[in-house]
Amino acid sequence: MSKIYNDFTVNVATANGTGSQSANLIILHSLFEMGVPVSGKNLFPSNISGLPTWFIIRASDKGYQAPGDSTDIQIMMNKDTWEKDLGALKPGTIVIYNEDTKLPVNREDCICLGMPMTSMARGISPKMARLMANMYYVGGIAHLLGIDSTALASAVEQQFRGKENAITMNLQAISEARAYASENWGDTCKFAAEAREKPEDTFLIEGNEAVALGCVYGGITMLSWYPITPSSSLAESIINWAPKLREGRDGGSTCAIVQAEDELAAAGMVLGAGWAGGRGMTCTSGPGISLMSEFIGLFYFAEVPGVIWDINRTGPSTGLPTRTQQGDLSMCYEASHGDTQHIVLIPGTVDECFEFGWRAFDFAERFQTIVFGFGDLDLGMNRWSTSGFEYPSEKLDRGKVIRTQEEMDAISDFGRYRDIDGDGIAYRTLPGSGLAPILYRGTGHDEDGVYSEDPQVYYEAMQRLKRKIDGARDILPAPVIREEESGDVGIIFYGSVENSIIEIDDLLEEKGMSVSTCRIRALPYHSDVEGFIERHDRVVVVEVNRDGQLYGILRKELPTHLIAKLFSVAYSDGLPPKAREYANRVADVLEH
Amino acid sequence: MVKLNVLNLEKSEYKGGKSSLCPGCGHDQISNVIIQAAWENGIKPEGIAKMSGIGCSSKTPAYFLAKSHGFNTVHGRMPSVTTGANMINKDLAFIAVSGDGDTASIGIGQFIHAIRRNLDMVYIIENNGVYGLTKGQYSATVEKGSKKKKGAVNEQPPIDLCAMAVNLGCSFVARSFSGSKKQLTALLRAAMSHRGMAIIDVISPCVTFSNNDESYRSYNYVKSNDEVLHIVDYIPHFSPLSEVEVPEGEFSDISLFDGSTLRLETVSDEHDPEDAVAALKAIHEAAKDGRHVTGLLYYNPGQLTATDTLGLTETPLMDLSDEELRPNIESLQKVNAGFRAR
Repeated sequence: MSKIYNDFTVNVATANGTGSQSANLIILHSLFEMGVPVSGKNLFPSNISGLPTWFIIRASDKGYQAPGDSTDIQIMMNKDTWEKDLGALKPGTIVIYNEDTKLPVNREDCICLGMPMTSMARGISPKMARLMANMYYVGGIAHLLGIDSTALASAVEQQFRGKENAITMNLQAISEARAYASENWGDTCKFAAEAREKPEDTFLIEGNEAVALGCVYGGITMLSWYPITPSSSLAESIINWAPKLREGRDGGSTCAIVQAEDELAAAGMVLGAGWAGGRGMTCTSGPGISLMSEFIGLFYFAEVPGVIWDINRTGPSTGLPTRTQQGDLSMCYEASHGDTQHIVLIPGTVDECFEFGWRAFDFAERFQTIVFGFGDLDLGMNRWSTSGFEYPSEKLDRGKVIRTQEEMDAISDFGRYRDIDGDGIAYRTLPGSGLAPILYRGTGHDEDGVYSEDPQVYYEAMQRLKRKIDGARDILPAPVIREEESGDVGIIFYGSVENSIIEIDDLLEEKGMSVSTCRIRALPYHSDVEGFIERHDRVVVVEVNRDGQLYGILRKELPTHLIAKLFSVAYSDGLPPKAREYANRVADVLEH
Repeated sequence: MVKLNVLNLEKSEYKGGKSSLCPGCGHDQISNVIIQAAWENGIKPEGIAKMSGIGCSSKTPAYFLAKSHGFNTVHGRMPSVTTGANMINKDLAFIAVSGDGDTASIGIGQFIHAIRRNLDMVYIIENNGVYGLTKGQYSATVEKGSKKKKGAVNEQPPIDLCAMAVNLGCSFVARSFSGSKKQLTALLRAAMSHRGMAIIDVISPCVTFSNNDESYRSYNYVKSNDEVLHIVDYIPHFSPLSEVEVPEGEFSDISLFDGSTLRLETVSDEHDPEDAVAALKAIHEAAKDGRHVTGLLYYNPGQLTATDTLGLTETPLMDLSDEELRPNIESLQKVNAGFRAR
C-alpha cells in the first residue's frame, strides 16, 4: 500500500479522568522522538472525572501545528460520545475502537478496527484494567503508523519516570496490542510515521511552564495567585522551579509565594510588592482580570510596577472554562475605570513565553506600571517545540529608583511624579529608605504626590501618563513581519495564532493570493505596524474572538488614512484555530 | 527643654499634615496617639510603613508620621497590599488604619485572611458604626436598634470584629476608646512591640453623624458604658522592669516580642488574656448589656508570621542583588538539558 508519510491527524475520544492523558502523551512523544514534526492539543472539559475529552495529534512535515481540518484516524474509547464521534467522520477514516464497549460501529464506509482493550488489560492487571486499556490503543496506532519501538519505549519511560512497575506493565500492554493489531488488522492504514532527523536540541514544553521559567530568570520575588484554569499550571511551575533555582545564600528562598484568598487580594499583593521594591507577579485568566480591575487602575495612576499574566480562556463570564480564546485583549489593554492604558506583551511561541516572562519585570519597573503577559489556553496548556531557552540578553532593568541620599542629591527639584527627564517617567523612592516619603494614593495628586483636585494638575498628570506609556511603543518587542515582495494583502495577527499562520498563508496562496504577515507582540503597538499597513493595500486582522478586539484597538489609534485599509476576521468557537476556517474567512472578507 | 526619645528625636519628627476631618473627630485623637506611641517607643520613622484603605479613617495616615512612606490603597483591600509589601520587606513596621466600613463590610475577607496568615502588622480599626465620607450610612458594626440623628433604625445585628479575630486565633486582640488616651497609648505601644497580627478595635465617635447620646459609639455613651477589663501599663524594653514601681493590687505581666512588657492591673475578675473562651465571654457579656469591654482581650504569642512560614532568605527581598535575582547561565543550560533528556 502506498503511504502518506507524516501528514495526518489523530483524534482520541476518551472520558476525563480515565488515564488517557498518559497514553496520548506517549503517542505524541514517541512521534516527536522519531523526529516527526508533531503537535498535540488537549480538548478537555471543566470536570475531574467522567466528561468527554478529545486529544488531537497532528503530524505534519510542513510544520503545521493547527488542528487538522478533519480526522484521519479516530480512536474511540468513550461510550458517551460514541455515536456523535462516529457520525462526524469522513468516509475512509480509520477507526480504532475498544470492542469491550459492545457498542455498534456502523460505518461501513470507514476502516473499523476493533480490539478488546479492557479485557486484554485485565490480563495484566484486573485492578488497573480501566487505566491500562488506553495503552492498547497506543499499541494499535503504533502498529498502524509504524511507530518505532525504541521511541515508544523512551516515551513510556519519560511518562512514568522512576515507576519501574508502571513502565513494565505499560510496555507489556503496548506490545500485546501491537501483536494483536499486526495479527488481526493487517496493513490497512495509508498513513505512516517516518523517522526524520530530529534536531538534537529540541523538546516539547507547555507555554505556562515556559512563562514560569522566564519569571524565575526575571527575578520574580513574589508570586501571589489564586487557582483558575488555565493559569494554575503557570503558578505551580513557579512553585516547582523556584526552590531549585532561586535559593538565597543562606539557603532560604528569594521568592515569596502566597496563595491568595481571591484574585483581588492577589493583585493587591502584587501592588504592595512593587511598591516595596519587589518584582511581584500574579497569573490568572479573564475572570481574575475582571476582579483585579480596580487595583489595575491604582497601579496605573499611582505608578507602581507589577506583572499580571492572563492565560485567556473562553468568556464571557465563566464561559467555556477549559477552552481557548483571545477574548481579553481589549480588557487587558484598558482595564479599570477612567482613562487607562496598559502595556501588554503577547508571546506567540514558547520561546517568547520564556523571554517575555523575564522581560515583563524589566518593563514594569522601567515604566513603573502594570504589565500584562497575554497568553491563552492553547499556548499555555499544550506542548510546543523549542530548541531550548535563551539566557536573558540584557541585565535586569530596575528603572528609576533612588536608593541613596547621594542619588537623591544629584536630582534637582525631585518630586515623586515630576517628569524631570521629559520621558514621562518620574523617579521613585522605596518605603524603608526614608528618602522623600509620600503617602501613595489613588486619589488625584500633584507632582509631589500631595492630594490635589486642581483641574490643571489632574489634566497634566493624565497627559504625562499617556506620554509615558506611548513612549514604550518602540521599546516593547517589535512585530515579527514576514513580507512578500508583491503582496497587496497583509495579515495582522497575534499570540497563539502563530501556530496556524503558516498553514493559513499556504491555503491563501493556493487560492492565488500573496500574503504578508505581521505578528504584533506588544501593546501599545510598535511603529513598524503602521509601516506594514502603509505598504499593503488591504490588511486583515485575524484573531480568536467574536468582535475583533485588536481590530478595534487599531481603528482607534491608527492615523485616519490607514483605517480604511483594515478588515476584520474574528472567529471563536472555543477550539484552537483551524487554518482552513480562518483562510476561508480571510478570502471571504476580501471578496466582499 | 525639648523632650527627646531614645533615638534623640523630638516628637515633631513623628507628626503629619493638618487633618481635614471634622473638628472633634475621634480619629484625630487616634492619630495623636499613633504619633505619641511611635515616638515613645523610639521607632525610626523611616522604618514604618503607614497603610490604609478608603474612608475617613483611611485618610488619616496623611496626618501622622510624615517621615514614613505610606499607601492609601483601595476600599477594603489594605491587608493584601500590606501582605505584598511585607513579603518584600519584612523589616518594615506596618501600622495600618482602617474603618468599620473598610474592615467589616467590603474588606472583611482580606481582614480574615490577614489574621489567618498572622501578618506582622498593627491593624487599627477606627470604629464609629457609620460610613462618614459618604455621609452617614450604617456600617456592619453598628448595634441593632441604633438610631442615628437622622434615618431609619438599624435592624441587623452587629459584627464584632474582636470576637471574630479571637475566633480566628489572632495573636493580639484589643479594644479601646479614642477618648481613653492612656489606655489606647499603652495598648498601641504594646501592639507595636508585638510580632504578628495585632488588632486594636478603637471606638471612635463620629461627631457629625452618630454622636447622639443613644448611639453606642457616642462620646457620652462610651464614657458611661466602658467596661475596663484591666488597667494597662506599658513598660518599654529600654526601661528596666526592676526600676518600675510595683502596683499595690494584683497584676500580671505580658512579655512582648521586643522585650517590652504590658502590665495588666486587675480591676475586677481576673482575665487570662491567653484564654480565647474567656475573651469571647467578656465580649459577649458586655455586648449583652450594651457595654464595651476594653483592654487586651486576647494574646496568643509565638505563632509563625506570614513570612516565617515561607522559609525566605534572611535579606529582605528588596535588597537582593541582581545575581541573587537571576540564576546563572549554567543553571539554564542544565534546565534545557533536563528537558531534552526527559
